[in-house]
Amino acid sequence: MDLLDFARGPALYFALAVFALGTLWRLLGILLLPWGLIRSPAREGSPSPFSSALKGIVVKLWPHKEFMAGGFFTFINGYIFHLGLAIVVFLFVPHILFIKNLFGISWPGLPSNVIYAVGVITAVSLIAAIANRMTSPVLRLISRVDDYISWVMTFLPVLTGLLAVSHLGARYETLIALHILSVAAFFVWFPFGKLMHAFLFVFSRAMTGVRFGHRGAQL
Amino acid sequence: MTAKTTTAGVAYDVHGDMSETDRRDAAMKGFVREFGAIAAAHMESCVRCGMCANACHFYVATGEPAYTPINKLRPFEQAYHRHAGPFAPIYRMLGIVPSVTVEKLEEWQRLIFDACTLCGRCTLACPMGIDIAELIKEARHGMYKAGLIPERLQLMDRTTKAWGSPATPAEDFADIINEAGEEFGVTMNVDLPKADYLVTVAPAELSEHTKALADVAKIMNRMGLSWTYHSEGFEASNIGYLNGDTELQEKMTRRIIDTAIKIGAKTLVLPECGHAYGAARWEAARWYGGDIPVRVIHMTEFLQEAVNSGKIKLNKIDATASFHDPCQLVRRGGVTKAPRDVLGKLGVTVKELQNHGSLGVCCGGGGGVVSNVRADPIRFKAFELKRREVEDAGADRFVTACGQCRITLTLGAKHFNWNKKVESLLELVADNLAD
Amino acid sequence: MSDRQTVGDILAQRGVSRRAILKYAAWLASAMALPPSASKAIAQSLAAARRQSVVWLSFQECTGCTESLTRSFSPSLEEMIFNLISLDYHETLMAVSGHAAEEARLKAMEENKGKYVVVVDGSVPLKDDGVYSANAGKTNLQTLQETAKDALAIISVGTCAAYGGIPGARPNPTGAVSVGEIIKDKPVINIPGCPPIAEAIAGTVAYLVTFGKVPDLDHLGRPKAFFGDTIHDRCYRRPFYDKGLFAKSFDDEGARNGWCLYEVGCKGPVTYNACATLKWNGGVSFPIQSGHGCIGCSEPHFWDKGSFYQPLSTAMPGMGAGIAAGAAAGVALGAGAAWLARRRQVAYSQQTSKKEGA
Repeated sequence: MDLLDFARGPALYFALAVFALGTLWRLLGILLLPWGLIRSPAREGSPSPFSSALKGIVVKLWPHKEFMAGGFFTFINGYIFHLGLAIVVFLFVPHILFIKNLFGISWPGLPSNVIYAVGVITAVSLIAAIANRMTSPVLRLISRVDDYISWVMTFLPVLTGLLAVSHLGARYETLIALHILSVAAFFVWFPFGKLMHAFLFVFSRAMTGVRFGHRGAQL
Repeated sequence: MTAKTTTAGVAYDVHGDMSETDRRDAAMKGFVREFGAIAAAHMESCVRCGMCANACHFYVATGEPAYTPINKLRPFEQAYHRHAGPFAPIYRMLGIVPSVTVEKLEEWQRLIFDACTLCGRCTLACPMGIDIAELIKEARHGMYKAGLIPERLQLMDRTTKAWGSPATPAEDFADIINEAGEEFGVTMNVDLPKADYLVTVAPAELSEHTKALADVAKIMNRMGLSWTYHSEGFEASNIGYLNGDTELQEKMTRRIIDTAIKIGAKTLVLPECGHAYGAARWEAARWYGGDIPVRVIHMTEFLQEAVNSGKIKLNKIDATASFHDPCQLVRRGGVTKAPRDVLGKLGVTVKELQNHGSLGVCCGGGGGVVSNVRADPIRFKAFELKRREVEDAGADRFVTACGQCRITLTLGAKHFNWNKKVESLLELVADNLAD
Repeated sequence: MSDRQTVGDILAQRGVSRRAILKYAAWLASAMALPPSASKAIAQSLAAARRQSVVWLSFQECTGCTESLTRSFSPSLEEMIFNLISLDYHETLMAVSGHAAEEARLKAMEENKGKYVVVVDGSVPLKDDGVYSANAGKTNLQTLQETAKDALAIISVGTCAAYGGIPGARPNPTGAVSVGEIIKDKPVINIPGCPPIAEAIAGTVAYLVTFGKVPDLDHLGRPKAFFGDTIHDRCYRRPFYDKGLFAKSFDDEGARNGWCLYEVGCKGPVTYNACATLKWNGGVSFPIQSGHGCIGCSEPHFWDKGSFYQPLSTAMPGMGAGIAAGAAAGVALGAGAAWLARRRQVAYSQQTSKKEGA
């Protein structure tokens, strides 16, 4: 069994099993705690909890202009690499095929050259993010090991993906194997670090959305 | 009480006679009890983006990274991961998350109490929707259990337990009301056995702002309402809500709700106090343990109803004014339109501050900070943010609807010899009742 | 046919022009990525070289490699190749059989000790003492070891000889292994493919004859000249890949337009071979040109890498059960963690209120 077979087979197999295990473990470990829902009466005319939850999820997509002064870079750069990752992960045809193989659903992709360009932008944006984290006094103070591991786990697939498509550094099948291995590492780390926010943000925002909607307060 | 400093020179206070281990365990247990699904989801969701720093008046005013809101939760978060989170058994087994040390708790007292007004502006900045202010309030519960709260908050706790109010013994309440009635020439209702409206008060109104007691009475009387103050349940400011004493919070909640029920009141009117609104309007059911058969409204909502219903008419003041939005009333209470409606009926043109409404900057004294003398230096720094905004808005008058904000801003103005009076919306209405 | 004659002599006798030799030399030089000036030297040494003695051993194989070599050549090239070598033993092609055949092999080995080349097609079974494939009373293993002992080099032709191939596919009932796994003390040149490209075999032999040495090999023992690039990199459909234009099935619009076959399982990106440049049947076509994706037949274990029609970027089959088990364990652990935390909270509440009550 060569490296690529190992990556496409046992490594991914293991990673996805750990991903499923860790994600459900963490989500249920949170959501099965007591909810404490005894609440004072809602403000008259307040929206339903469901629409408050939805509103919370949507409103938090965009920061208030009042916080732009100090948070502009975080906001813009965050958007760049999140969108970049989304485009590269979900609109590159080989990735779509991977997803189709797992879940049976697919959609049209973008030309590979576009993906390469977006990949480069994403990599640059991720480097800017880590540079910011390592230099900003606030971020240095609040950062944990998790933040650095999560960054590495996110950056490696982008880097190995770019190397693979540009055939730099090693043979293509080695690079693609390393790419798949880095994705496997990403999946393994995902449930145990802050990458989990990709799922948790829905709950976190919705809960605050409901709390604020109940009070008729603006989020 | 003992005032101490950590080896790093951070001042903290200690209460009660406990060993260090007991103190730490008490904090831990207090923390762990807080972690329901919502607190847990919020503890888990942080991505350390640092956006909350930009929202905190203490960080913005001082540039001190430690004041980044999420950083104020460190020991609370550590307790969560070690004892309540999904991976807690693993973290404990492998020692990935160590126990919180008592030194850390002592050091964080400053961040949890002195450097947070529970204003919740960080909650609006957090892209993950983490309600940081709520978490800090919950963290205070464990800190209280461990006897690790600032001295002044402990003092108010003791006084409130003894007197039923931090300002005055319950026995003296009726006298104070009647004296205010005489002083301002208003008919007062105290301890009536039955009334539709139970009116409650805030500590400052029992000492510095006694005119407010008369102002409410004046409006109630003008409207011809059935109302009363009541010695058994008059104190709306809930110290337990601020200092983490949940037993006291429950006791104070029950006292006013039970009194309202006893006298058959349909409406419980809260004074111009922000935290009273948070405690009685939004948390009462939790501490009361179920539905509350009384409508709870803030003075500002009462005024809005009064002017909108046409039951009182107001003289027009031809002036401009800026409104300071009390955090617990506006940002965390949803009462944004009411004060502006009332100002509109007074013929006042509102010149909004740069940050207003739900994004208004905190006065810097909420959450018990104004009572905590240790926090004075940063409180004054935060005040400067507000002062700048008020000056930039350039309105004739500066109005708010929270006694605590008013005291904080007045103290700030005095400190900087700033010649701007901070006015009460209630007083403004009462003074301009038309015949 | 005397072995003292040179290749040039024989070609001349057969009426092959000097020009034809030059032409082949030029082709070989270019195929092996040698400088243009090398072609003249090749032509000269080819003409002057003695015919190379070759012993061809067939083990666990299907004769497809021999078919490929003998049938697909253009006549002139076939001539060329068989004139380059003296094929002293080849079970399929030789006229003699039985003891006479064995003697031919032993004679060639004796006469050309240390100079003959062994070509192997087919894998070697090792399980159960190699009983699954034997001839002349000897297992393939014995024959190989005996023949390889005094050889100059071994050329493993086809994926079976090079990497175990189809006999070695799971569950590999005969314990088939490649030649390279047995012969460690001689140069082994792998020319994989199922079958390999005839020109790659011929070119390698010609190089051996001309230069008397083994060409540059990659890490899998393949001549870099023929196995240096992936099919994907040299594929004429590559621009469609870059533009994101893919056939989704074998008879859709994309397939008719000749778009990239990645989505229908083409393994071109990870397959190193010369199909896209040399092509087959004398340069007529190759699988992708004929509308079918590359199946990666020249790569080790291509038979065990999932369906030929499964896209390369997908995971290997058989993942569902593990993920389901992981999910089930996750549910159990999550519920367990929440239960423990709740129990802890209840215990702490009771302790605290007891203490406070006391």
